[in-house]
Amino acid sequence: MYFILPLLIYMAAVFLLPLLFVLFTSVVSETSGQLTLEFFERFFTHGLYLRVLKTTLEISLIGTALTLLIAYPIAYYLAKQTPKRRSYLTLLILLPFYTSILVKAFAFMVVLGYNGVVNDAIRLVLGEDFVLPLLFNRFGVMIGVVHDMVPFMVFPIVINLLAQNSSIHKAAEIMGATRTRIFWSIIFPLSLPAVAAGSLLVIIRLMGQFVTPALLGGRTDIMMSNLISFHIKDALDWNMAAAVSIVLLLLSCLILLALTRVRGAQLFGEQPRHG
Amino acid sequence: MDKERDVEALGGSAPSPLVATAAWLGFVYLLLPSLIIIPMSFGDTREIVFPPATYTLDLYREYFTNPTWTGSTIQSIRIAVIATLAGLALGTSAAYGIVRGSFRGKVLLGALLLSPFFVPAVVKALGFYIYFAALGIQGTTLSVVLGHTLFVTPYVMIVMMAALRNVDAQIEAAGMIMGASRIYVFRKVTLPMLRNALIAAGLFAFLMSFDEMIIAFFLSGFGTATLPVKMYESIVHEVSPVLSAISALLTFLALVICLAVTALSGRSGRQPSH
Repeated sequence: MYFILPLLIYMAAVFLLPLLFVLFTSVVSETSGQLTLEFFERFFTHGLYLRVLKTTLEISLIGTALTLLIAYPIAYYLAKQTPKRRSYLTLLILLPFYTSILVKAFAFMVVLGYNGVVNDAIRLVLGEDFVLPLLFNRFGVMIGVVHDMVPFMVFPIVINLLAQNSSIHKAAEIMGATRTRIFWSIIFPLSLPAVAAGSLLVIIRLMGQFVTPALLGGRTDIMMSNLISFHIKDALDWNMAAAVSIVLLLLSCLILLALTRVRGAQLFGEQPRHG
Repeated sequence: MDKERDVEALGGSAPSPLVATAAWLGFVYLLLPSLIIIPMSFGDTREIVFPPATYTLDLYREYFTNPTWTGSTIQSIRIAVIATLAGLALGTSAAYGIVRGSFRGKVLLGALLLSPFFVPAVVKALGFYIYFAALGIQGTTLSVVLGHTLFVTPYVMIVMMAALRNVDAQIEAAGMIMGASRIYVFRKVTLPMLRNALIAAGLFAFLMSFDEMIIAFFLSGFGTATLPVKMYESIVHEVSPVLSAISALLTFLALVICLAVTALSGRSGRQPSH
């Protein structure tokens, strides 16, 4: 127990207290010093804030669905490999996972811009007049955030697929089930807890995205994190920055709560229980 | 996990061509930024195009001689080293307490200690900003170090908790039966067995802090900006070609740390779990 004490004290001083300061700032006006709910009222009535909330939820949900779509085949393919090949191929997932988000965003600006790699190729094939708007819009944001999230989804699904009891698959095969049938009626349903856990983890992380919407998105792709930064750095409105933060924090807590409810989600590296 | 069962995972048959194609398209998408950035970094200083018209080392020269970039890089290294050491101390100790301890509410406490991981970075950053402003240290290097220590500690804890579960608690028990104190056993028996995991956790924490931009963006002042903050400002305002060289160097750093961490955790993970 004493071993936990240093971190507990540190967290009380450098995590809990700062969060309480945010909470305080969200309900006590900087100008009048009065206790008030006006900043939350403004959040839930003004078009700007509601639009940003909607954008944040849209990017998080659609981004999660696209991430799953790309991550599942990768996870399935990895699970099918021999351990040696799998460990090499896993490096292809780990490298982008370890790479700075700024590097990734910068690279996608080069790939997707008007004079970027994709548009150069399109011009080469279709002629000078063809340009696709791929950057500074929702498409650019999606390319960036999905890229950032795929590893978070691949890892839990691979662990699940490898832990599945292969005798069940064998039994189904012997009884004449096709590969497609085995996948859809055994493998996929058994992997759903990992899919749910991965998806919730990805939603939480997507809701807090800052760099990608700021660099790859346009004006209408501003997310809550960018709005908080705008209020602190440019508008100097600490009250609204705090109110938006509290809403974002509550949304994250709600999803975290759902995450703890997922059976067999293997949160925090707990060993899976048998039986 | 034994090999035979592993090979037969999911029924053993090879993945269908459709799955293989989808997976490899996914790999290409994931590796695209790294593959683009490396040739770009050898371009010239006038424009950012892929592929570059001429291949030079000018961008690297520009990076290593411009005090804005070298200064912020040194600042990033300083912060990351101190935050890593502090995070290793706090995280390893707490991981030991959670894994070896037996008390009520252990699972809940473990979740609480890892909770900073789930709080959006901007919310943490805003909290630090308001709190450190009240303490009068906002904008200092110390404030970024304190913030980054909190940021890297959950990662250290996750790695060290997994490693501790692989260390046989009975060896520690033997030490204590022979009269050594718990602290002595932790220092002389447990820590040496955790050496690989500690190096892996340390390297990972260093990279996390070195690359972290949001907390540093909120907390650093004019003279204390880190490399990622300078990069972000450059991308927003002018998009300097030197960013290609910095990105290539950061990708190389990520690759080295990725390989080192993988090698280290592979070696310590071989022990059979009980």
